[in-house]
Amino acid sequence: MTSSTAQAEIAPPSAADNQRGVTRRILARAWSYTEMKLAAAVFLLLVALTLFGPLLIDASATKMSVADKFLPPLFMEGGRLPHFLGTDQLGRDLLLRSLVGLRNAFAIGVVSVIGMFILGCAIGIYAGYRGGWVDVILMRLTDVQMSIPVIILAITILGMSRPTAVSIIAVLILASWPVYARVSRGVTLAERQKEYVRAAKILGASDLRIMVRHIAPSILPPIAFVAVLDVARMMIFEAIFGFIGIGIQPPTPTFGTIISAGTQYLLNAWWITIVPGVLLALALGSLNLMGGVLERARNHILQGGE
Amino acid sequence: MAPQSMSKPGSPLMEVRDLSVAMRSESGVRPILNTIDLTVMPRSVLGIIGESGSGKTVLSRALVNWIKPPLAITSGSVRYGGRDLLALPEEEMAALRGREIAYIGANPTSALDPTVPVGHQILEKLRAVAPQLSRQDARKRIIDTLDAVRIPSPAKRFDEYPFQFSGGMMQRALIVDALVSNPKLLIADNITQPLDVTVAAQILRLLRDLQKDFDTAVVFISSALGIVSEIADDMIVLDRGHIVERQPVNALLEKPEHGYTRELIAKVPKIWTGAAEPPAPSAQNVVLDVRDVEKTYEVRDRNAIFAHRKVQAVRGVSFTVRRGENFGIIGESGCGKSTLSRLLSCLEAPNRGQILFEDRDIATLRGKDLLALRRRFQLLLQDPYNAIAAHSSIGRTIAEPLLIHGLVPRREIRKRVSAVMSEVGLSPSLYDQLPVGLSAGQRQRVNIARALVLEPELLILDETLSALDQVEQAKLLDLFETLQARRGITYVYISHDLAMVRRVCARIAVMYLGRVVELSDNETLFASSSHPYTRALLSAVPTVEEKPYKTETYLLEGEPPDPIDIPPGCSFRTRCPFAFDRCAREDPRLTLLSDGSLSACHLEGSGLPAVDIAGLQPVATVAQTRPVAP
Amino acid sequence: MAFAIEFFLRRISQGLVIVLLVAFVIFTLLRIVPGDPIRIILGPMTPASVLEQTAKDLGLRDPILVQFGRFVGQVATGDLGRSFIRGLQGGSAGGSQDAAGYNPESRASVAELIGTALPYSLQLAGLGILFALLVAVPIGMAAGLRAGKWPDRLGLYVSSLFVSLPNIWVAVVLIFLLSAKADLLPAIGYRGFSYTIIPAMVVAIELSPVMIRAISVSVAANLGEIYYDVGMVRGLSRWTMIFKHVLRNAAVPLLNLFGAQMIGMLLGGLFVVEYIFSYPGVGMLTINAVFQRDFPIIQAVAILASGALVAINMLVDFTSTTIDRRLKF
Ligand SMILES: Nc1ncnc2c1ncn2[C@@H]1O[C@H](COP(=O)(O)OP(=O)(O)O)[C@@H](O)[C@H]1O
Ligand code: SF4
Ligand SMILES: [Mg+2]
Repeated sequence: MTSSTAQAEIAPPSAADNQRGVTRRILARAWSYTEMKLAAAVFLLLVALTLFGPLLIDASATKMSVADKFLPPLFMEGGRLPHFLGTDQLGRDLLLRSLVGLRNAFAIGVVSVIGMFILGCAIGIYAGYRGGWVDVILMRLTDVQMSIPVIILAITILGMSRPTAVSIIAVLILASWPVYARVSRGVTLAERQKEYVRAAKILGASDLRIMVRHIAPSILPPIAFVAVLDVARMMIFEAIFGFIGIGIQPPTPTFGTIISAGTQYLLNAWWITIVPGVLLALALGSLNLMGGVLERARNHILQGGE
Repeated sequence: MAPQSMSKPGSPLMEVRDLSVAMRSESGVRPILNTIDLTVMPRSVLGIIGESGSGKTVLSRALVNWIKPPLAITSGSVRYGGRDLLALPEEEMAALRGREIAYIGANPTSALDPTVPVGHQILEKLRAVAPQLSRQDARKRIIDTLDAVRIPSPAKRFDEYPFQFSGGMMQRALIVDALVSNPKLLIADNITQPLDVTVAAQILRLLRDLQKDFDTAVVFISSALGIVSEIADDMIVLDRGHIVERQPVNALLEKPEHGYTRELIAKVPKIWTGAAEPPAPSAQNVVLDVRDVEKTYEVRDRNAIFAHRKVQAVRGVSFTVRRGENFGIIGESGCGKSTLSRLLSCLEAPNRGQILFEDRDIATLRGKDLLALRRRFQLLLQDPYNAIAAHSSIGRTIAEPLLIHGLVPRREIRKRVSAVMSEVGLSPSLYDQLPVGLSAGQRQRVNIARALVLEPELLILDETLSALDQVEQAKLLDLFETLQARRGITYVYISHDLAMVRRVCARIAVMYLGRVVELSDNETLFASSSHPYTRALLSAVPTVEEKPYKTETYLLEGEPPDPIDIPPGCSFRTRCPFAFDRCAREDPRLTLLSDGSLSACHLEGSGLPAVDIAGLQPVATVAQTRPVAP
Repeated sequence: MAFAIEFFLRRISQGLVIVLLVAFVIFTLLRIVPGDPIRIILGPMTPASVLEQTAKDLGLRDPILVQFGRFVGQVATGDLGRSFIRGLQGGSAGGSQDAAGYNPESRASVAELIGTALPYSLQLAGLGILFALLVAVPIGMAAGLRAGKWPDRLGLYVSSLFVSLPNIWVAVVLIFLLSAKADLLPAIGYRGFSYTIIPAMVVAIELSPVMIRAISVSVAANLGEIYYDVGMVRGLSRWTMIFKHVLRNAAVPLLNLFGAQMIGMLLGGLFVVEYIFSYPGVGMLTINAVFQRDFPIIQAVAILASGALVAINMLVDFTSTTIDRRLKF
């Protein structure tokens, strides 16, 4: 017999070997973009600011002070410390209010995206794997869900009770899980045809085991990359809710309420609206840029690139 | 090195001098082709042979100046019509491609836009290269050429989409596409590789005829010596980017000069001459008893409202396998082999019939019993890349069945897995590594180890070795043999590779359109088959030895009928060279013949040409296999 | 032909079920979340007995299934009912004048309210999509055709920038810059076509990044297909391959994106934008109706929206199967 002697030399990675460490390769590819590094730096800076800003700046996000109202940002004439970005109509520090708003929005975005990711993907994998009528029913359910505009759902549910972070997150999850269900179902349909799933079945693995241990680990990472984009989208929804008056209630600052209040003073104190918006856009921009780069890296790798 | 033979007079059509191609990557420059010199004469066929990875495809692309990053041409010239193609501006090169120089690749099914009918795409190309032709004339010319390559009902096929064409049909359509503009040179890169041997043989013959009719020179590239030698006038042997030998085809087969060529010739499997004694049938008890199983799928019918059509994938298959035996199932793609393997491995249930494993109907097993069955009864799949997941370590992958079945206490798993790994020839040091970078052969070993760790009694191998090269295949066959000796495993090989089945199987079933048409022991089947279909399969095997079944006598026309519309009577009659009137009326049953074989043919073995395998030559020269070109 | 008939029969019947389900979900949701419309209809000073009587008269105290059955029967005859709040003149009538009781005849018909608002919304949606296409098609195509080169990066930057701008903020900034400061365009309310332009820009900024991404990804993916490369070796020019084949193939995923995602986004975007700009479309009608618990309007809009979505998805899928015959539905 020739093969009992172990020959363990590892062949050089071949082009055909497109399965290897997909996740790692996507990350490596994404990191090779300058944009990725830049966006990550901006994002981390903002996160640090939201965490430590309130400790460093000698002002309050909620305390009103008539004497300090309508102060412009430092770079404009009339601005003064500690109000780097000026104050609002009630004399509250805009930078601090923005940072607190950002922190809340970010928390809501991350938690809701995790929730919709788990819920949607669980349903999608199940539907795609089971197929048949289970699939038809679950997919029609996503159709139903997707044809109810988020805003209607949000106002109906949040509009009548006092909205809290928890109910906002619940509404966002309820409104957005179908996207994840559809995507993960689509990939599962293709994945379930693959030989490794057949192999697992032949070995005797149960359906649950196949879904959890085999399909999920190979399809979820690429979907998770794109979920970064959704964190930004959810933060925008949070702002819209605040703007319409169904977000987290005052005095806790949110971007929506800051902007909506600022519109009344647009002509004289434009910064109340514009400045927090720029900060939010910066945060969202860094997230979206990272998400965009990850998405491209994923497409590149999945299409067989190096 | 022998000088390029001048089998045809006249000046060369294409001359390649000192051509080198390299791959540039971050880790440096790797040469792919080194100082290639070759000459293509008008109206001749130049064969290029080499193993996979030797640079054949890169060479074929370099001939049409179609090299893309990270590859780059580093030196040399490709002279055609007095010009160097490599120095030509892109527009002038584009004006040659598809007009004077045509190219066909190995990937027929993805070569055309999937959303546009095949005929329309050929029309688009013909009108691009010959704008003076009117639409009607162009259309007529294409339909005529489709007819000439023996595509049935070409006018209807003209409007059908690529996915409605089988691989063989598509390759014919692409030959039409290439030849319809009357090119001077056709470059064919491995065009028979994805096709069944029967279809490949048809395509070869077709190309040979057309090459004469159209006066085209052909550069024919392939990794199968048996195929190139059927068509080429001169041959070039490529080894790791170097040309190691060039000779006219007969001389190359008879007096190979370079060691590598000799090795290549020796590797072509022998079926009749000098084959080792096939294993004997087993006399032990029956482990697997397949009784008249049937499987039908329903597909939606686009041409009727709420209607379905039935695809009869497996139509009443019966056979038995005895303990310790090697049983083979062969047939063209689409004949129902994979469906049968899914039925056998209990992934799907048959619509009718039974599969008994040690006298228990596996379709009735549930829960614990099914799990117990799975343990003793394993299936190895074809694709070594997709059968193991990329995200778990090798050891974890092999341990998975132990965890599923809870056979071994957790702390002993590593020991068990390591033992199996060394048994199949994987170093246990790979235990914690990811499958990243494992070769196809090593992956297939992981696969095998994963099945073996359960200590199964029956292993079904569905094209398990097809993706591997000859050397690796031989090693794994040895391994299977050893395991059989050690553990008494029973194997069912499902394959389209006749040479492999010849080597390892004691009894063989031949499938056609979802049925077993012949079932005999190895020697009877290969030496004196009693079914016309089996003989046709055997006549098409690409070997270099002389064959007892002459291609001229048995070559099949067309392809198997659609399993949706199976013709009444004998289902093989649409392609059978021996069909007679009874065949259209009556469906032949599988009958026991005097030589002990089972055959489903009204001729019952009589009336087929006599065969004599005693006097066959181990290396057939061209004169023996085809008429010499004038 | 047979395929088309079967397709539409199948999808229309499935679609009716979906619309019915959506109606039911919204219907139930409205009735189980807190907030009693009667109080808003009759005003805060109304005695409890009158409230209760009106609620009974309106059928709001019946079991939900009974109410729903009645509603479906009504809709089936083409009657979408009358608003709880809005008077015949369209203004909202809630409050004291009805304290003595509620007379449905004095309320506007929902069908008419929607009929008046819909053209405005369609105009805004149309212009928004047009603006978005004007931005997204050139950028997306260029990015897809030259993947990895500067147009690709441009596509990445533009789309990342645009998705990062919350529509409420963009709206306010545009009003401030174009309307208040520069006085180029009018912004709030509607007194002519020019009032649509700024809102349409906001809609376009929301839609275009998704389009840019989708166009560039699907064009680039098709350039990577074997048929594209082979086409050029077969003797077809690069531009023939792009215009006759790549675009055709890229259209399928784009159509699907349009059906599945864009319509939902467009709808959501319209609602918010109309609200910000006090633009008299269906969105503003609906948002006000939700705040006022004006059930009939909300239900009707939900039915129409899901019906439109179902119809668009059906057409999208049908077009996809005619382009790519391999697809099955
Ligand atoms: N799930 C399925 N649905 C419809 N047709 C199928 C299905 N599986 C196999 N077939 C058809 O059944 C026939 C036999 O297929 P298969 O068993 O894969 O053959 P082989 O393995 O010999 O190539 C083919 O015509 C194939 O298209
Ligand atoms: S029965 Fe007739 S058609 Fe069928 S294989 Fe025999 S001779 Fe050929
Ligand atoms: Mg098969």
